[in-house]
Amino acid sequence: MRDPKQLAARVSAARQAVEARGETFYPGASRIHLAAFPPKERWDDWVEVDARTPDRRERHYMLVPTTCFNCESACGLLAYVDRDGLEVRKLEGNPEHPGSRGRNCAKGPATLNQVTDPDRILAPLRRAGERGEGRWAAVSWDEALDDIAARIRRAITERRGNEVMYHVGRPGEDGFTERVLAAWGVDGHNSHTNICSSSGRAGYHYWMGFDRPSPDYASADVIVLVSAHLESGHYFNPHAQRIVEARQRGAKLIVLDVRLSNTASQADHWIAPQPGSEAAIFLAIAHHVIATGRHDRGFIERWWNWQEYMAVALGRPGASFAEFEAELATMWSRYTFEFAAREAGVDAAALRAIADVIAGAGTRLAAHVWRSAAAGNLGGWQVSRTLFLLNALLGAVACEGGTYPNGWNKFVPRPIHTPPHPHTWNELTWPVEYPLAMNELSFLLPHLVGDGRGALEVYFTRVYNPVWTNPDGFSWIEMLTDPAKIRLHVALTPTWNETAQYADYVLPMGVGSERHDLHSYETHDAQWLGFRQPVLRAARERLGAPVADTRQANPGEVWEENELWIELSWRIDPDGALGIRRHFESRERPGEKLGVDEYYRYIFEHSVPGLPARAAADGLAPLDFMRRHGAFEVRRGIGPVHAEAVPAAELDDAVTDALGRVFTRAPKPAPENIVPVPTPDGDADGRRRAGIAVDGRVVRGFPTPSGRLELWSRTLAEWGWPEYALPTYIESHVHPRALAADQLVLIPTFRVPVQVHTRSGNAKWLDEIAHTNPLWIHPRDAARIGVDTGGLVRVETEIGHFVVKAWVTEGIRPGVVACSHHMGRWKLAAAGDRGQRQVMATVSLDREAGREAGRDGARWTMRRQHGVAPYASADPDTRRIWWSDAGVHQNLTFPVHPDPISGMHCWHQAVRVRRAEPGDRHADIFVDTERSRAAYRAWLARTRPAHQVSPDGTRRPYWLLRPLKPAREVYALPGAPDRKP
Amino acid sequence: MDTPDPEPERHRWAKVIDQTRCIGCHACSTACKSENGVPLGVHRTYVKAVEIGAFPSVRRAFQVTRCNQCDDAPCTAVCPTRAMFRRQDGIVDFDKRICIGCKACIAACPYDAIFINPDDGAAEKCNFCSHRVDAGLEPACVTVCPTGAIVIGDLDDPGSPVARIVQRDAVAVRRPEKETRPKLFYKGAHQATLDPLAARRPPGGLLMWSEQPDVPHGVPAGHPERANSAVAVRLAYDVAHRAPWDARVSLYTWTKGIAAGVYLVGLLLLALGAVDAGSALWRWSVPIAALAAVAVTGVVLIADLDHPERFLLIFTRRHGRSWLVRGAFVLVGYGGVLAAHLVASLLGAPGASLRLSVWLAIAGGPLAAMSAVYTAFLFAQCKARDLWQSPLLPPHLLVQAVAAGASVLLLIDTLAGGGGAAAAGAVAVTGSGGAVAAASGGPAAAGPGPALAWILAIAAATHIAVALAEVALTHGTAHARLAAHEMTRGRYRRWFWGGLALTTLGALGALAPWLPVAPPIAALAGLLAFEHAHVQAGQAVPLA
Repeated sequence: MRDPKQLAARVSAARQAVEARGETFYPGASRIHLAAFPPKERWDDWVEVDARTPDRRERHYMLVPTTCFNCESACGLLAYVDRDGLEVRKLEGNPEHPGSRGRNCAKGPATLNQVTDPDRILAPLRRAGERGEGRWAAVSWDEALDDIAARIRRAITERRGNEVMYHVGRPGEDGFTERVLAAWGVDGHNSHTNICSSSGRAGYHYWMGFDRPSPDYASADVIVLVSAHLESGHYFNPHAQRIVEARQRGAKLIVLDVRLSNTASQADHWIAPQPGSEAAIFLAIAHHVIATGRHDRGFIERWWNWQEYMAVALGRPGASFAEFEAELATMWSRYTFEFAAREAGVDAAALRAIADVIAGAGTRLAAHVWRSAAAGNLGGWQVSRTLFLLNALLGAVACEGGTYPNGWNKFVPRPIHTPPHPHTWNELTWPVEYPLAMNELSFLLPHLVGDGRGALEVYFTRVYNPVWTNPDGFSWIEMLTDPAKIRLHVALTPTWNETAQYADYVLPMGVGSERHDLHSYETHDAQWLGFRQPVLRAARERLGAPVADTRQANPGEVWEENELWIELSWRIDPDGALGIRRHFESRERPGEKLGVDEYYRYIFEHSVPGLPARAAADGLAPLDFMRRHGAFEVRRGIGPVHAEAVPAAELDDAVTDALGRVFTRAPKPAPENIVPVPTPDGDADGRRRAGIAVDGRVVRGFPTPSGRLELWSRTLAEWGWPEYALPTYIESHVHPRALAADQLVLIPTFRVPVQVHTRSGNAKWLDEIAHTNPLWIHPRDAARIGVDTGGLVRVETEIGHFVVKAWVTEGIRPGVVACSHHMGRWKLAAAGDRGQRQVMATVSLDREAGREAGRDGARWTMRRQHGVAPYASADPDTRRIWWSDAGVHQNLTFPVHPDPISGMHCWHQAVRVRRAEPGDRHADIFVDTERSRAAYRAWLARTRPAHQVSPDGTRRPYWLLRPLKPAREVYALPGAPDRKP
Repeated sequence: MDTPDPEPERHRWAKVIDQTRCIGCHACSTACKSENGVPLGVHRTYVKAVEIGAFPSVRRAFQVTRCNQCDDAPCTAVCPTRAMFRRQDGIVDFDKRICIGCKACIAACPYDAIFINPDDGAAEKCNFCSHRVDAGLEPACVTVCPTGAIVIGDLDDPGSPVARIVQRDAVAVRRPEKETRPKLFYKGAHQATLDPLAARRPPGGLLMWSEQPDVPHGVPAGHPERANSAVAVRLAYDVAHRAPWDARVSLYTWTKGIAAGVYLVGLLLLALGAVDAGSALWRWSVPIAALAAVAVTGVVLIADLDHPERFLLIFTRRHGRSWLVRGAFVLVGYGGVLAAHLVASLLGAPGASLRLSVWLAIAGGPLAAMSAVYTAFLFAQCKARDLWQSPLLPPHLLVQAVAAGASVLLLIDTLAGGGGAAAAGAVAVTGSGGAVAAASGGPAAAGPGPALAWILAIAAATHIAVALAEVALTHGTAHARLAAHEMTRGRYRRWFWGGLALTTLGALGALAPWLPVAPPIAALAGLLAFEHAHVQAGQAVPLA
C-alpha cells in the first residue's frame, strides 16, 4: 500500500492551502475545511484514489461539466473522465451551476448507468419485418438520413409539409428544434405538454401572461404546494433545496395532495382533499383573506385589471376602486369554509387554519401547482388560477419570497439564425375545437387521424413514448401499425421504449452526457444558462484532438440531435433551393455546414450579456468558458419587472387608453432575452403596446391583453366561456356527483423520487429502488373489497381494466386509490433482448379478430409472459437483478379526457376496484378501443369550436403563447370572413 | 500489523443525518453506489421509510441507514485480521486485501451495515469515503444531498457545526444499548425508524414501490408479527438483508462440539474408571474421532470463508482480541494435543506412551473444553445477536459437546460390537487400517457402553432443559425475544423441536439399546438440528 500520509499530503485540499494556491474552494454542507468538489483549476488533471479498487488505485481524471437529462430540472453534472482510456467513471454535481448548486437527486449519479447500460442502442436500425414484429436490420446513418430527407423534401415540395411531425417529450433545450421546424416551414411541432402541464399553465397564463410560476421559495414565509416538489416536478432538486432552506428558517409548508407524498409528509399542514375540490378550497381562502381585510389593496389597485372588469364585464366604466372592492367582498362569498370542507371532504377547521397561515404570509407567499390536481381534473386549470389568486390578493407577485412569472427568471439567448414563423397551421395538433388549448392536442393524434383529418409522411418521436406515456396506448398502436396513417416513423432515442418497437427507424441519440443542448429554467429569482455537452468530445478537444462530429466521441454510432438536424436539413435541401439550407450554414465559412462549435460559439460570444467579459477574466474564450463551467449566471435578483419604467426612448408618440394601456410607435428594441412572451395586441392605429400607466408612470406591466394581472379574462369571456372568465370552481369529471356509488377515484399520476416517466428505466440503481406500482388503497376500502397488501385487484375504467397488486396504506384518502406513474414497462416477446431488460416485463399482446373478415377487432389483451430476470451482459450487475416485478401499464386502460378549454388530458379516472377474478394475473390488461373512440367523441362534444365562438374570425387568440407560433395571417379561420384580428 | 493511519491531523470524525431536512430522495444511495462501485443487491447506505399513524394523521418517516462509525466498533473487535479497523481519526475503515471473508464483522454489527461485496468477496460498508476525506473532500453523500441533510465534522472541535448539533440539539443514535458509542447522530429521527422492530413487515412481499427482496439466507426487514409500537407503523421501503452465517457455521459448531466432546467424554470415562488408559477407546477412538472432527471443523470453517485462500492470515495477521483468532489457536493447540495423543498410542506398548497420553490431558482437557466453549465468546462478540448473549451459552455448549462426544463414542462402541470388540470396531469405523487394529491392546472387562449411554442421557437431559428455558423464560430484549420466537415458533421451529425430539429419542434409546445404531445417530442429528436452529434464529432478527 502506498503511504497514505504521503497521499494525504500530496492531495490535501485543506481550505487555506487551496486558497493560498489561488484555487477555488467549494464549501460543502458541513462547513468545514473539507471541500465539496475539487478546485476547478485542477479539473484538467484531478488525481483521486478509486475506492472501487481494493488497493485504492490512483486515477487521473478530467472533470467535464454537462447537464442531467432525466427530469426537466436540468441540474448540472460533472463527469469524471478517466484520462487513461477516456471513459466516464462517475458523474457528480456541478458546483458552478446556479440552479442545482452542485447537488443532485438520485438520478444525477445514476446517469452513469445510462452511459454504461448494456441494453442501450448503439447503432441505427431499420425495421426488417412488419411494425412491431421485432425484426431489425443494421442501417448506416447515411442510408437512413437519405431516406428520411427525401421523404421530408417530397412532403415539403408537394405542399404537404405539415405531414412532417416532430413529437417531443422532454425537450431538454430551448428552441433549437423549433427553429429547425420553422426553417423547414412546417407547423410540425408536437409536444407532450397536454398530458403534462397544460392546465397548470393555463391558470397562470390567464392571470399574468406567462404560463409558469417561479416561486421564490428560499425567501418565502409560507409555501403552498399543490405538488410534490420535495420529490418530483419542475424543478425538483433545485426547488427542494430552497424549500428546505426556507423551512429551516421557519417557513410554513402547506401541501394539498390526496395521497401521502414525501412532500406531504414533511408539511406543517397536509390537506388531502377530495380530488378536484382544490379550487373550492382556494376560493374559500381567498374570500377569507378579503373578508378579514388582509388583501394588499395597494397592489390590487395598481396591478389588477379591475377597471376592465368593472367597465366591460359589469358595464360600469369609470367605477372607483372602492366600488370594485365592494364587488370583491362578495365575489366568492358563496365559498365558505363549510362549503369548501363539504366539497373537499375535510375538516373546515383545518381549512380555516391554513387560510390564516396564508393570509399572514403577506408578500412572502410562494405557491406552486404544476401537474397534480391541475393535470388530474376537468377544469384543473382553475386550480392554478385560484391558487395564483392568493398570490395576487396578497401582492406576493414578483417580489422577494413571492411568486414570479417564469419568463423573468429565465434567459434564452438569440441564436445564429432565426428562421421566420411558419406560414401554415396544423389541424392535427391545433384542431379547431380547441381554440384556447395551451398546447398541441398531442394525445388525440390517433383519434384525429382516425377521423380522417390527415396522415403523416414522417413522424419523429423524440424522447417521447406515446404508446406507454399517453392514455389509450392501444389506439396509438393501431395508428402506428397502419402504414396508411403513419408512412414513416422515426424514433430518436438512446434506449428501447414501447413506442420504438413500432418504428421504421430507430436512431440512437446520446444520453445526458453525450449531447449538446442549451437551457434555462426558473429555479429561483435569477437568470442562468446551462450548457449540456458530450463530455468525451469535450475531453478530447481539451486534450488537443478536435472532434468534428459527436459520433466520433460517443459510444458506438450514437449521435446527438443538434448535428442530426443540421445534417438532415442539408440533405432535405442540398442545393439550398428550398431556402432551408441557409438556416444551417456557417457564418464563419459561408456556404459550408454549420457545426455545433460555431453554433454555440456564436451564442456565447454575441447573445449572452456578461459572458464574454466573465470568460475573458479567466483568460478564456466564451465557448471554452462554457465547456469548462457548464453554466453561467446571467443575472440575479431580477425583481418586479412589471414595475420597471419604460424608457422615454420607447415611448415615441405614446397614447394611453381608458384602461391605462400605453401604446407607442417607437420600434420594439430587439430583446436580449428571447424567452417566449405573449403578444398582446397594439392599438387600432398600429401602435404597439409599450406598457401601462401606473401612478403617473409608464411601466412594463404584464404581457396580458390588459397589461395587468387579469382577475377577469376578456379572452375567456369572448371566446365562448364567459362563465369561467373569473377564477372559479369547476366540478371535476371525478366529482362525487359524477361517480356511481361503487366507483372510486384513481390517481394515476403520482411520481416517485427516483424515476421519471420512461426515461430513467435504463438506470439500474434507480430500478433497484423503485420497480413496481402497486395500487395504494386505504384499509377501509381494502377491507370492503377483501384484499390485503399483495392481493390482486381488478381496476375497471371506462374502456377496460388492469390487474394489479394492492398496497394497503394509511397514506391515502379513503375513496381514492392511486397507482404510481413510471412503472409497468414492457417489451413484446418478439423483441427478444431488445428492450430495457432491467425494468421491462415481457408480454404477449393479442388483438381479437374483427367481426368482418380480414379486419382487426378493437379488443386488446396484454398478458405478462415473464417479469424482469437476471441476465448475462458486459455488466456483472445484470446477473444480480433480484427483482422480477415491473408493475402494471395502467395508462393503456385510460380513455382520452381533453379539457375543453386548456386541452389538458384530465388524468384522474373514475374506476371500480374489485377482487381479481379467477384466471386474472398480475399486470393483465384489457381494453376495447371502440370504447376509446366513444370516450373521445363524448369529450369532443364538450368543446366550443373556434368557428362557433371566435370573436374575430381567427382560430385562436393571437396573444396566447403557442409553441412554434405561426405567422399571424394563418390564424384566420379557413372560410371565415377576412376580419382583421 | 500496523493499522494504517492516513490522517495526519487529529480529528474525531462524526456525522449528523438531519432527518428534518431529509426528503427521502435516495440521492445518497446512488451517489454512494457510484463513488464506491457498490453492486446491485448490496448497500453501503440506503433510505429506510416507514409509515406511521392513520389517515389523515399519518407521515412517512425516513432513516438514512448506514455504518455508525462506532467508537467501540464490534466489527473491528471481532475481525481476525484487522481488515476492519478504526483509524485514529475515528473512521472505521477496512482493507479489502486482507479480508478473509469470515463475515464475523457482519454478525457483530448491531446495525447491519456490513456486507460481502460479490465482486471481490470482501467485507465492506460505509467508510466515510475515507479516500475522499484524505484528499480534502467531503464524502460523496454529503456532496450530493440536495438539502444538506448529511453533514460531517470533528467532535473534538467545539466550533464545528456537527459538534454544535450533537451537543446542543436533540439527537439520537441507533441502539445505544449496544454500547458501541456511535458517531453517527440522527437529528429529528422518528423512533419508529430508529427501532428496527417498530414497523410491521407488510404481507404479500411488497413495499410501497418495490418488492421485498427475496434473497438467499435473507432476513426481511420489519417485524414479522406484532410490531414494537402502540401506533400503526408499517415498513414502506427497505433493502435486502442477509444473515451472514449459513448452515456451514451451524455445522461447524456441531463438528467442533464432537471434536471436543469425544475427548472430554473419554477423560470422563477414564476418571470414572469405565475405561483405562490402555483401552482401545482412549488409545484410538478418542484421538482419531476427535482429530477427524477437528479436521472437518477446519475444512468447514475455511469453506465458509469468502476468501478461503487467505485463511492463514488468521495466524499471520492475527488480531488477538478476536475470538475467531483465539478460537483458531485453541483448535490448533487442541489438534496438536490430539496428534501427540495419537502418536503416543502409535508408539505402541503400554507404559511410557500411555502415561504420556494421560499427562497430555492436562493440556487436552482444558483445550477440549475451550474448543467447545469459545464459540460462546465469539457469539458474544457478535453484539448484534441478542439470542447469543446468554450467560448460559458456554455451559450449554459444553453440555452439547459432551452429548455429542458420548453419542459418537457410543456409536463407535456399538459398531464395534460393544465390549471387547470396541477397539477393532472403532478402528474399522475410523478407517485407520488393520495394522493399527492389530496393535490394539487388551480391552476393559466391561465395555464403556452403559457409561456412555448414561453420560449421553444426562448431557442430553441437561441440554434439553437449557434449550427449553429459551421457550419458557422471558427474554431481556425485544431482539432476543423475537429470535427465540423465530427459533421456537417461527422460521426455525422445525429444526428446534425436531432437534430436541431426536436428541430425546436418542438418549432414551441409548438407555434401552434394542436399536443398536439408531440412538446415537438420532442424538447427533438432533444436536445438529438444534445447533442450526440456534445459529440461524440468532441471525433472524432484522437489525436495521
